Amino acid sequence: MSSTCPRRHSRAFPPILHRTLPLPSFFLRDSWFWIQDLEDVSLLSSRLEFFADVVRWFWIKPRIGGFDPRLLKNKKINCLLFSSTLSLVRVMSLATNSPAHSSSSDDFAAFLAVDLDSHSSDSSPDEETEGDNNAESVRIKRRKVEKLENSEEDIMHEVEEQSLEVLSKQQLCSHPGSFGNMCIICGQRLDEESGVTFGYIHKELRLNNDEINRMRNKEMKELLQRKKLILVLDLDHTLLNSTELRYLTVEEEYLRSQTDSLDDVTKGSLFLLNSVHTMTKLRPFVHSFLKEASKLFEMYIYTMGERRYAFEMAKLLDPKKEYFSSKVISRDDGTQKHQKGLDVVLGKESAVLILDDTENAWTKHKENLILMERYHFFASSCRQFGFNCKSLSELKNDESETDGALTTILKVLKQVHHMFFNEVSGDLVDRDVRQVLKTVRAEVLEGCKVVFSRVFPTKFQAENHQLWKMVEQLGGTCSTELDQSVTHVVATDAGTEKSRWALKEKKFLVHPRWIEASNYFWKRQMEENFTVEQTKVEQTKKQ
Amino acid sequence: MFFHIVLERNMQLHPRHFGRNLRENLVSKLMKDVEGTCSGRHGFVVAITGIENIGKGLIRDGTGFVTFPVKYQCVVFRPFKGEILEAVVTMVNKMGFFAEAGPVQIFVSNHLIPDDMEFQSGDVPNYTTSDGSVKIQKDSEVRLKIIGTRVDATEIFCIGTIKDDFLGVINDPSAA
Ligand SMILES: [Zn+2]
Repeated sequence: MSSTCPRRHSRAFPPILHRTLPLPSFFLRDSWFWIQDLEDVSLLSSRLEFFADVVRWFWIKPRIGGFDPRLLKNKKINCLLFSSTLSLVRVMSLATNSPAHSSSSDDFAAFLAVDLDSHSSDSSPDEETEGDNNAESVRIKRRKVEKLENSEEDIMHEVEEQSLEVLSKQQLCSHPGSFGNMCIICGQRLDEESGVTFGYIHKELRLNNDEINRMRNKEMKELLQRKKLILVLDLDHTLLNSTELRYLTVEEEYLRSQTDSLDDVTKGSLFLLNSVHTMTKLRPFVHSFLKEASKLFEMYIYTMGERRYAFEMAKLLDPKKEYFSSKVISRDDGTQKHQKGLDVVLGKESAVLILDDTENAWTKHKENLILMERYHFFASSCRQFGFNCKSLSELKNDESETDGALTTILKVLKQVHHMFFNEVSGDLVDRDVRQVLKTVRAEVLEGCKVVFSRVFPTKFQAENHQLWKMVEQLGGTCSTELDQSVTHVVATDAGTEKSRWALKEKKFLVHPRWIEASNYFWKRQMEENFTVEQTKVEQTKKQ
Repeated sequence: MFFHIVLERNMQLHPRHFGRNLRENLVSKLMKDVEGTCSGRHGFVVAITGIENIGKGLIRDGTGFVTFPVKYQCVVFRPFKGEILEAVVTMVNKMGFFAEAGPVQIFVSNHLIPDDMEFQSGDVPNYTTSDGSVKIQKDSEVRLKIIGTRVDATEIFCIGTIKDDFLGVINDPSAA
């Protein structure tokens, strides 16, 4: 091993460096980093031993085994001297020929003095004029070495003082962020906690708003150059569905025997994760979806779930960490309760698209949101949202791989991406994906004029109803008056006056779900699939 | 920086451990209790290298436990501002990179990475010079300088820089 260490350094630092660099006069002050032959520990009676590089070596190469300095006692190790300013000053061998005297600090000082002398004599004429300095530095060294005799506590204290000196030079730093409450630029301890925590990267990392903006701008330029936008993905009900094991119904018990192996998750879609007491079903098409989307987008996971759960899910979706490395944001990382925000996402809002099934989580970013139809595979998930029907799992059924929600949305994403980069005019940086999304959405019900019949409560301001707004966002128009330009009447009951008018005038009479489905699928849905029945109440009234 | 120092600790031992192996039991308990822990004052205890002396035991009232004052030598590691460390990169992202040297977690912000190194996202995010000759990615070994430290009870955090002469990559995992 003694040979491996120096060789490793010499690859990065050509040997020539060790010869030509003079030792700086402050060399000892900064350079208590060395290894010595451990047989000669007694040579340096100070208990400051030279383990540094040996231990580093073991930490860097953990496969060799854990570090145990006791094992090293009989090994000969070359001595490395470091100075913090010059990094590696020189490599030398202290080993066997060192005289093993008993009183050591003198020897040590002498050794350093000799070493320095030999060094300065090697050096160029220019440096010889600095001989006095070198002598001075030897004196400093002797003093220092004497100090080594004192307790280690003193040494630690002294080093601390020196670092304070360094610090005072750096008062002008704006402290743009912190790690472990220390400024990421100057290393100063910062008392107040400010800025946004980027817990999904490291729990101790915080950045101030200015720094976040700086990063965003830099990031955006680079992303747009690579023709990429940002896509934020929700987990539950969007990419997958999970259930706690204890909520599995009797009819779902068969699933336990059908789970896929965790060895190669890309081959399966139903997983049992005992560590988080969860069974998880990936939404059909999700692997292809991620693969395709990753070509067009830089992707984040953003979930209201706990971090541990989020990481487990990320492992299922992205076992090779190709898509989401250090971009998994969980409940613990958000800045507001029950809200998802883009402040922890390093992208400009004008370049971010969001896939989520919960609109209310994104109150500030509705324009970025592509609302997903909820994926309910497990019975517990249906119950949670108040559906009494059988779940997909109980029906032994699933969403279509070729025609499901993710397939549909991928097409929309591709279209938006294409328009953003190819059809919008102006500088890339000034383009806004929210506008593009609006345009694409407004093509869905283009040319439709909709009249609602008893869909809203009587006192409700029709223009404010969610469905009314949805039709307008999808490019249709709404009206309260019946005339020949109306194309659709939306009702839950075929017996109303307007419904009967629609049938008479051969207009489409559709259920409100037609609007919702068109919204989810980004496509005007076949009206025949959303016909309206006469309710019994109405029928009895008429009789 | 590594120090070989003498520390003292009061060890409580249950009477069932008394007898011929008392000393061994004390030492092995000491190792279990102390190795791998941190203190703000001394840093991270890497290993116990020897026992200086074990004092007289004191029986604690009411319990039967006996407290022994034990003086032991150990190697401790404590990072200092200005120190040069070698560390393994654990994570690279656009904010900079994280590295570990034993128990120490180090963050090197992109401000403290040389200006000619640019962040490259992708399957293996990395910082690369424009000519592609030097690359920092996960598992790279880097030599860095510590500019800030915080030693907690269980964790040590440092701010590092590689924006200085002779700092940077010392081995490239992709080249191996
Ligand atoms: Zn600062």
